[in-house]
Amino acid sequence: MATATTTDVTDLSLLGLMQLVSPALPIGAFAWSQGLESAFELGWVNNETELGEWLGGVLEDGLGRCELPVLARLQRAWAEGDAETVEHWNGWLRAVRETRELSEEDRYLGSALVRLLRQLELLPETLPAMPGYVTMFAWAAHVRAVPERQTLIGFGWAWLENQLAVACKALPLGHTAAQRLIEQQRPELVRIVDRALALEDDDLGPILPGLALASAQHETQYSRLFRS
Amino acid sequence: MTVYQPIGPESDSGHRFDPARRWAAWLDLRFAQRPSGRGPVTQLVRNAHDGPLRVQRPFHPEGPNGCCHVYLLHPPGGLVSGDALTYHTTVETGAHALVTTPAAAKLYQTDSHGVAWTQHADLHVEPGATLEWLPQETLAFNGSRGTQSTRIDLADGARCLGWEMLALGRPASDLPFVTGRLEQRFHLTRNGQPLWIERQTLDPHHRRFRGAWGQGGATVQATLWAVGLEDDRAAIEALREAMPASGRWAVTQRQGVLLLRYIGDDRNEAWDLCEQAWTILRPQLTGQTARRPRIWST
Repeated sequence: MATATTTDVTDLSLLGLMQLVSPALPIGAFAWSQGLESAFELGWVNNETELGEWLGGVLEDGLGRCELPVLARLQRAWAEGDAETVEHWNGWLRAVRETRELSEEDRYLGSALVRLLRQLELLPETLPAMPGYVTMFAWAAHVRAVPERQTLIGFGWAWLENQLAVACKALPLGHTAAQRLIEQQRPELVRIVDRALALEDDDLGPILPGLALASAQHETQYSRLFRS
Repeated sequence: MTVYQPIGPESDSGHRFDPARRWAAWLDLRFAQRPSGRGPVTQLVRNAHDGPLRVQRPFHPEGPNGCCHVYLLHPPGGLVSGDALTYHTTVETGAHALVTTPAAAKLYQTDSHGVAWTQHADLHVEPGATLEWLPQETLAFNGSRGTQSTRIDLADGARCLGWEMLALGRPASDLPFVTGRLEQRFHLTRNGQPLWIERQTLDPHHRRFRGAWGQGGATVQATLWAVGLEDDRAAIEALREAMPASGRWAVTQRQGVLLLRYIGDDRNEAWDLCEQAWTILRPQLTGQTARRPRIWST
């Protein structure tokens, strides 16, 4: 079994990560837009350039200072069998979710991942109360012996692909434009992961007020493709 | 060049104008229910202070059995470099207190050493008690630098409704907030379990300040929280029905905490939204109608 200090990606752990971040993973991540559908509706994001700015900002400030650094802490805690720390960060993530939509997405995906891992006989002996998506993603990466850094890159990649899928359906954004945005964000993701691994606890989790407002507005959006 | 100096607990208090400048003040309030000839009454049973922070006297404008109102006074009227204000407030079992301020608080430009100020509210609400924390808005002048934090610890059956409103710069004088750094933190727990943690950093040089996902260039923001409502969903419906829909505010509920947020450029719009939300939520939270504190009109 891997420890948090593993840095080499083996073929099997690479495949394990690809399985975990695949849009085919049956946990329903495609159903949520994280405020993005609402940002289209509000006229805050209207085209490829504005979408690039939105994604870059959310990646740097949202994922980069919240999910990614906490993911690293959670994977380390799972590797060390430190249930108390797993519980702490799982509860912390629940408390920083800005809206019902964001809170429920984390809870639904977390439960779906628990169900799937149970069927694959990969669950840990003890789970924290209401395990969220990030917590279970960290566990799955741990059992697949994925090195910490690659776990973060994989998580960020799954987020980016999912947000672009939202944009392709709801903006709509062309598929080639989506690939251009991937090209733009790819090096950013690496930079953000580097920084995420270096952040102190006190630097974590600034709120993104615009995203929070958009996500709360989504609850009452008249016509929507994504869940709220 | 100026260097930011964090304020450590070891610093001396008192007037000085070097990087160790610090002027601490605290206020410690305790509200408790006491029997009287006409039933239990909430009284201010502790009113201790140090430095320029005061509560002159408690009021009972809603009648002797109603909630106890107090006004927090900070005679200097604003925070400058080195100020460190702490408000401790405890509402004992079954008591009900409403805390507000007589005027907007001002956050002045930092001194030449870039020394920050801090303002911290530590609120404890015991079983079955209610705290309404309704300060008037905070006006941050250009170049202000500091941290404002609100910690709320609730026991079982405790209720709390509060808000923070922040206006950046002085638009009327054409003095926008273009330098400085503010941080606003909220930490709300029930029986020690965190239910809401929020941290907001306002730095005009960061792209978050302009970006649509972040502050969007807005100069006024407000956050209202309400915990302990019997039916959060009904409360949210009531707010959405009564208040004018716009892209500048929204309300949501997660983990039993109702959150209303405003981001825009109009202090009055933010205030009216929050006051209207309080008027709608108060009867649901406390069973009592909202009666506007008179000090808000002066």
